Amino acid sequence: MLDAVTLLFSQGFLIRALVVGVLISLCSALLGVSLVLKRFSMIGDGLSHVGFGAMAIACAAGVAPLYFSLPIVLVAAFLLLRMNEKGKIKGDAAIALISTGALAAGIMVTSMTTGMNVDIYNYMFGSILTMSNDDVVLSAIISVVVSALFVIFYNEIFAVTFDENFARATGTKTSLYNMLIAGLTAVTIVIGMRMMGALLISSLIIFPAVTSMRVCKSFRSVVLSSAVISVLCFVLGLIFSVEYETPTGASVVCVNIVFLFFFTLIGRARATLKNTHLKRAVIALLAALLFTAVAVIPSLTTLSLDKKEKISVVSVGFAEYDFARQIAGDKGEVSMLLSAGQESHTYEPTPADIIKIEQCDVFVCGGGESEAWVERITDSTSSQFTVVKMMEVCSLVESDHEHSHTDEHDHGEYDEHVWTSPVNAKLIVSAVSDALCENDGANADYYRANTEKYLAEIDKLDSAFRELGRNAEGKYAVIGDRFPLRYLMLEYNIEYHAAYSGCSAAVEVNPVTIAKLNDMIEKDGISTVFKVDLSNGNVARSMCEQTGARLDTLYSCHVVSQELLDSGETYASLMYKNLEALSLALK
Amino acid sequence: MSLISCRDVCLSYENNTVIKNLSFNVEAGDYLCIVGENGSGKSTLVKAMLGLKETASGHLHFGEGIKKGEIGYLAQQTTAQKDFPASVYEVVISGCLADKRSLFYTKKQKALVKENMEKLDVFSLKSRCFRELSGGQQQRVLLARALCATKKLILLDEPVTGLDPVVTSELYSIIRSINRDYGITIVMVSHDLDAAIKNASHILHLSKNDYFYGTVENYLSSDIYSSFTGGDGNA
Repeated sequence: MLDAVTLLFSQGFLIRALVVGVLISLCSALLGVSLVLKRFSMIGDGLSHVGFGAMAIACAAGVAPLYFSLPIVLVAAFLLLRMNEKGKIKGDAAIALISTGALAAGIMVTSMTTGMNVDIYNYMFGSILTMSNDDVVLSAIISVVVSALFVIFYNEIFAVTFDENFARATGTKTSLYNMLIAGLTAVTIVIGMRMMGALLISSLIIFPAVTSMRVCKSFRSVVLSSAVISVLCFVLGLIFSVEYETPTGASVVCVNIVFLFFFTLIGRARATLKNTHLKRAVIALLAALLFTAVAVIPSLTTLSLDKKEKISVVSVGFAEYDFARQIAGDKGEVSMLLSAGQESHTYEPTPADIIKIEQCDVFVCGGGESEAWVERITDSTSSQFTVVKMMEVCSLVESDHEHSHTDEHDHGEYDEHVWTSPVNAKLIVSAVSDALCENDGANADYYRANTEKYLAEIDKLDSAFRELGRNAEGKYAVIGDRFPLRYLMLEYNIEYHAAYSGCSAAVEVNPVTIAKLNDMIEKDGISTVFKVDLSNGNVARSMCEQTGARLDTLYSCHVVSQELLDSGETYASLMYKNLEALSLALK
Repeated sequence: MSLISCRDVCLSYENNTVIKNLSFNVEAGDYLCIVGENGSGKSTLVKAMLGLKETASGHLHFGEGIKKGEIGYLAQQTTAQKDFPASVYEVVISGCLADKRSLFYTKKQKALVKENMEKLDVFSLKSRCFRELSGGQQQRVLLARALCATKKLILLDEPVTGLDPVVTSELYSIIRSINRDYGITIVMVSHDLDAAIKNASHILHLSKNDYFYGTVENYLSSDIYSSFTGGDGNA
């Protein structure tokens, strides 16, 4: 167990996450006590949404998100405070107005520019991989400032929190201290939201304070206990998230819930049980249970340092996983990061994934914009492994923007689903094969033989598609879904019309496009509307209901369901399914 | 010079003028009760005296070295305080804040806290949790805090609201003794006219368009008193 923990915390990104997280937990716990007692709990939530909106705008405008959102969130904090003190709109309504307003603005800007990309997704749900060394320094400075100011003004903060009128009447500048609390909260939230996510950062402020209040009876003990609980919950949540590959923010909140539950029980026992012996026994039992729960999380760590004997290949998606396993045969260990059925466009590696990558010999990835994290890993790691980027070995086409309202932006953004064309697949297979031979010279002949056999198989696929392309001239396919098969269709001159442009997770489908497609289906007697494997297919289904067309599925080979994986489907077999479905539709 | 002098003061509450051209003086050692029906502006006046509210016109002056911030204050409890985790000691010492010059409270201030807690018989509750005390105990603790904040003047805004009769009369006698034994001026907003007449030296009666200010003796023979209590003889 110790080995595993040591392993985890020898990773640069995890140390940074740990440092930033502990500091942020400490600050938010300190401020949280005051905010919760002043009935300002939701201010954290409101500010984090403002932070999200500001970050979305910063991303769109191409300015550093942190330096842009910090002043905006500060202004919002003071505005909230003022509205609360002076305005006709009461506190909770003011917060709801500002927070939903900012969230909407952020989503608008996002949808009009980049779409829900990984960065935006990270700001929503948090990512421990976003911490850079600059962030560590910044959060260290901020947490020192927050804790120092909190200690210096501890008595004032108590007075302002406990009884603002009395403090004001006795000459304390209450609005100054209120502004101080709001300002510090704003700064803490902006730093913390990137790790915890805009949706969850306010829990760091609220949970430890509420938990401590169940049991503690003085302000000072609440403050101290909140700080300890907050830091403890963060560390446990982080370890848990690393171990079970869960998102860090949500894991930390769940640990906090467990603490709240136990503290509530202890508080209840103390208040209701009359018999002192029984009371002590119950409290001791509850404390022991909590302690066990706390101890169990780290001891469950199962990650191991075992070095594999075979050459190991790690891929991101299914297509490259299949290529590698065709080549490696039984001489290599091939694994894929995207688990069955996982949403691929918002994927970020978990800490366990990163450790897997760092220990592998060959790493195959797409290399596109949605995999910006690859750079962060290769930049920060000291381990040696060969990286094969599929987009670097293929000729690229730009993302399809024909129906999109973002024509002015984003040129030069390439479609990342290069493997969907068998011609590209051959290029990728050769590149992976070269990487394997280079890393495992002893088995090079074996790999080359496998590669040759496999390339011949893809050649067959290629000529079958080419024939389909010739036969289908003048006809077109209709796709009522995000469309990842652009390379395939372009390669073989198969005309198509898709409800979404490309495969980017653009926020919403355009109803005008759907109406146009429905008209075309009815006019030209199109028999089939396609959905893409693993999508919910809602758009395609509604188009079928509207027009009476048949629903069929195309496979992107990016991620596959557990079922298909278990039944031994391969890239080639799925592409043959696509061939068959398209042939039927274009008859 | 008077401790508080109020000249032609007008006050408004939510854009309605509630007090017009009010004038009165509070001398050191006085025990003034402010009475009157709901909405007559009693609490608004207290807020103005505490500097929590601007006067619309007129002058409200503090004399004899009383600075803003040297007033003790005891209000009705806010709902927020009912579940506030604070020890009695923490609450009382927060009264010394106005006087705090260094980072932490000084020995002298701590001694003052102890002294005031003993005066109000709450020293034994020192490390108890404020929210777990009874209503009367809580008001005594808050009174001890008010004493830490001032040596001259305490303003009380309906301090007995929600207390039972026994505790109420206890609190009144404590307030009286603070006034008599320690020479601290008391200004108290009250609903309890009988107690006001019994304890106070002066009465300020606010009513819709009129007011009375004077000693208790004069008040008892005033028109405003007889019309106020006229209905049932004894309000």
